[in-house]
Amino acid sequence: MNTTLSLGSVQTCFKKVVCLFCSCLTSCCRCQTLRRARERSTLSCDCHGVLHEGGLVVVTLATVRAPFSRRAESRTTCHKGLKRRPVAMGAVHAKSMDPLPMHGKDLGVNPDDLMEHPEPEPDAKQEILENKDVVVQHVNIQGLGRTKEDLLGYEISDVFNAKNLIDVMKKAHIARQRLLRLGIFKEVEVLIDTSEGADALPNGLDVTFEVNEIKRLTGSYNTMVGNNEGSMVLGLKLPNMIGRAEKLTFQFSYGTKETSYGLSFFKPQPGYFERNLTLNMYKVTGQFPWSSLKETDRGVSAEFNFPVGPTGHMLKWEGVWRELGCLARSASFAVREESGHSLKSALSHTMSIDSRNSAIFPSSGALLRINQELAGFTGGDASFFKEDFELQLNRRLFWDSVLSASLWGGMLFPIEGKPSCIADRFYLGGPTSVRGFGMYSIGPQSEGDYLGGEAYWAGGLHLYTPLPFRPGRGGFGDLFRTHFFLNAGNLCNLNYGEGPRAHLQKLAECIRWSYGAGIVLRLGNIARLELNYCIPMGVQSGDRICDGVQFGAGIRFL
Amino acid sequence: MAAPDELFCWEGDWGLPSVSTDCLVVLAYAQFAGAPLKVRKICNPWRSPSGSLPAFRTSQKETLSRTSDIIIHLRKQKFNADYDLSAKEGADSLAFISLMDEKLKPALIYTFWIEPKNYVDVTRRWFAEHMPFPLNFFLPGRMQSQQLEKLRLLQGDERLEAGEELEKELYRDATECLNLLSQRLGSQKFFFGDSPSSLDAYVFGHLAPILRCKLPNGKLQQHLKSLDNLANFCSNILLLYFPRDGRDGCSQKSPPQPDAGDFDNVPSKRRKQLLSAVVALGAMLGYALLTGIVSIQHVQQEALEEPPDLEDMGSHEEEGDG
Amino acid sequence: MIRVNERVLLCLSLTAAEPWPENATLYQPLKGEGFFSSSCSLYHLQTYLRMCGLPVQVVCRPNAEYMSPSGKIPFIHVGNQVVSELGPIVQFSKAKGHSLSDGLDDVQRAEMKAYMELVNNMLLTAELFIQWCDETTVSQITRHRYGTPYSWPLNLILAYQKQWEVRRKMNAVGWGGKTVDQVYEDVSQCCQALSQRLGTQPYFFKIPTELDALVFGHLFTILTTQLTNTELLERVRSYSNLLSFCRRIEQTYFESKDS
Repeated sequence: MNTTLSLGSVQTCFKKVVCLFCSCLTSCCRCQTLRRARERSTLSCDCHGVLHEGGLVVVTLATVRAPFSRRAESRTTCHKGLKRRPVAMGAVHAKSMDPLPMHGKDLGVNPDDLMEHPEPEPDAKQEILENKDVVVQHVNIQGLGRTKEDLLGYEISDVFNAKNLIDVMKKAHIARQRLLRLGIFKEVEVLIDTSEGADALPNGLDVTFEVNEIKRLTGSYNTMVGNNEGSMVLGLKLPNMIGRAEKLTFQFSYGTKETSYGLSFFKPQPGYFERNLTLNMYKVTGQFPWSSLKETDRGVSAEFNFPVGPTGHMLKWEGVWRELGCLARSASFAVREESGHSLKSALSHTMSIDSRNSAIFPSSGALLRINQELAGFTGGDASFFKEDFELQLNRRLFWDSVLSASLWGGMLFPIEGKPSCIADRFYLGGPTSVRGFGMYSIGPQSEGDYLGGEAYWAGGLHLYTPLPFRPGRGGFGDLFRTHFFLNAGNLCNLNYGEGPRAHLQKLAECIRWSYGAGIVLRLGNIARLELNYCIPMGVQSGDRICDGVQFGAGIRFL
Repeated sequence: MAAPDELFCWEGDWGLPSVSTDCLVVLAYAQFAGAPLKVRKICNPWRSPSGSLPAFRTSQKETLSRTSDIIIHLRKQKFNADYDLSAKEGADSLAFISLMDEKLKPALIYTFWIEPKNYVDVTRRWFAEHMPFPLNFFLPGRMQSQQLEKLRLLQGDERLEAGEELEKELYRDATECLNLLSQRLGSQKFFFGDSPSSLDAYVFGHLAPILRCKLPNGKLQQHLKSLDNLANFCSNILLLYFPRDGRDGCSQKSPPQPDAGDFDNVPSKRRKQLLSAVVALGAMLGYALLTGIVSIQHVQQEALEEPPDLEDMGSHEEEGDG
Repeated sequence: MIRVNERVLLCLSLTAAEPWPENATLYQPLKGEGFFSSSCSLYHLQTYLRMCGLPVQVVCRPNAEYMSPSGKIPFIHVGNQVVSELGPIVQFSKAKGHSLSDGLDDVQRAEMKAYMELVNNMLLTAELFIQWCDETTVSQITRHRYGTPYSWPLNLILAYQKQWEVRRKMNAVGWGGKTVDQVYEDVSQCCQALSQRLGTQPYFFKIPTELDALVFGHLFTILTTQLTNTELLERVRSYSNLLSFCRRIEQTYFESKDS
């Protein structure tokens, strides 16, 4: 017997899950226990045990019955119907309200762990079907319009390998998730039926996927908040354009500062969705008041994403025509000297491992992202090599508070003696990087315009606690956290004649640091707002500080 | 010659034969040279043969729209106001015309078309009131964007906008230009002696609108009024060569104008009220329709998504019970 | 009002007290890049500064056009100020106590300014026109030279962008419909006016002024630049007094100092 679930108290969480077996809607009552085993939600209702993604935790009804019988009885009234239905109705609807993020892996379900116990009201035919091996004879897909069938073949082929009914259901469920993940179907329903017709085997099953394709053209309208600017975005999307999950996206954004547009074409490898190619064409305009700089980028890029083991990789080539200009007549001469047109052609590679459980308020896991960029090798005016990394570690402490540590660093090496461009250099400071300093207002500057640096590092130590917002747990309160932080960092230019030791020394002296506390608000799952009281320390002449209350939003945060 | 030359130009107001600088230049030159033109004052640029004003239709049915072309054409017809000028004087007038093109014209465009208050209160209003019905809604706005584009190109600044800095820069150039013109004119009646030449026509065309038009932001006008000889020069030409318009303007201006203004205002006010009511109603209807559609779609979507679930569950329950 | 005036005077006297700095720098694009209009302004600016006796260092930057606050080249960087175009530079040097036109009376100064605008209005526009709107010149010379500092697709893009911009400007000033011959005619007209004004004098007025610098800059460039045909050159050459004027200034301000 599996002992995993017999320990621990039961707490109610508000997550709704749908039973894979009977498609009843139920509350996940075992999150706590499960989370301890492995952080994920259940796939089935109480009475049908717990199926865990990749975790080999499959508990049969009988196991669960004893400690949870009441609960199971009261909450799920439909489980009795399950066993009869494949026969009586000839169909099982597998449906989920919260699709799992899939990583293309099989559910590592070991058939030995599956110990199906018969129901109190047994059905002879049912039992036979259940315990016997079954053969999936046909898999049908209904409702296809422009989607090519060969694409779906890869996604659902695994269903044929199922050996018994439970297996069929599970594989069908996985196949359904894989189909939904393609982003080309509005909904997918699975019907499992006994085979009929001349060639039907006695234990043959037919699986039918009823799909509903997304419209040929979808439009969207939203408002976006980026780093200290707002914009409205009009988007047009042509999902599944040619029929193999390709996607063409056009975005036009009219911002508070500038307008931009982008056209992108996305093409996944059939059967291997995570390996995909994206082609982009865009125009982006940005204003950087801390440097009195205005930048208009027009470019094309090609991105190739592929996973290798637990890591995600991205290879990218980008050709961009950059137009730099002064934001005001009063811009410093150093910025003036940088203005004009330039062409950058760069190859870059990004490797990332993200095991965090949330992008904004992680409570466990780590993130490591390493990015290297080589410009000038493939043409263009700019030539440099740039390397930077980002590391974040999270650890849960007492009372749901989380200790989080991050470290950033980067270096830019100009090649062929060409000086680096102001648009390529690193910047530091601001409400989501080294707090207590003005936005990108640390380091080398000329007449009040910050010029950025060729090397930097920054580190942060945070203690997040949900404390004052605890009463709102499960709802509003989950959007907020209180945090105490300690940030430090440095940014400077390097003279490459001096050698690495001098560089390290340079980065180690005159360190800017700050500490304080504040409130963090999660905006969706991509950005966050922070309201902090900061006390900047180690301020160097020329740095712009923000002593006291600092407010800002950011996507990337230290 | 069968048909006389025809000149299409903007209607006049504020005691001027025309409100547009270019039209004024041509009109003044024709007057100075004594060219017999059939002048058609219209307020609908679409009725001009070239689509813009001024336009000049020669007896050969050729259409000219550039001021310099029209003057050259008149000169070829032996209507030459510069006949008495020496070569050096001719050179001087070319130079001063260039000076005005470079320094005064941008400021003129700015004062009438870009300066927000002047544009809204005077220029747009004038054109909207004088143009025939459907045109008056969009033509003034289009003319403004054309002028802004022109100013941007003249100044070589892509993203130039109305503002104090621009105003200061343009007005500095313009006042300098006015000072130079005033110094060149001195105490003479015209720029080259006692008879007017093409330079006089250009100067008159550029200065008269500034002098006569009552603008909320009248910095240029103030400066021009302080240069007595230039102000006198303009009123002199008006008096001598456009006596009718000048008098009309004056007589219309002083007593009946407030009256006429009120009289004019009432229908336009009503029209505005009606229009705003229609627009508001349209917007509300549109909004209702829009949200209606959205909500309908929403309901449909929900109807597609939700009920099957419920049905399913319901059916399961029944099954379970039974 | 009075207080403001006083302050302006104070300001002027203060800046005047500051001498012309040694490190004044004149920025211009790489030689031959903008070839026509840019070398004109380079010559007239240099001539002007030499007439004033102000030392300046010439620096070439491919992005000079974009460094300049007004987009016009060349420009000078003096102390912490950046000044472009002849007009502002003249004012600036005047504030520093160097002026050429102090000896002129009001009418003469008005005429000088007017002639300067004539040159800007006609010669400069004509040069731009020939450089960017005459198809043979554009395809054989301009596009190539303009794109030199940039790498491949950008050189073409920028050249076409510039051409498009100049054409729009031509439309705005009413030169859009002109033919090259009409433009040559305009150049002749302008030279005629200048020649008339100059007469037999050594300079346009009694003393060398900024007008002389400006006219020299343009004429000298036209005389020394190789174009696809010699029409423009011939038009300018037919005014002998202008030719000798150019030679005189070249000798006085360039040859003697360069040697």
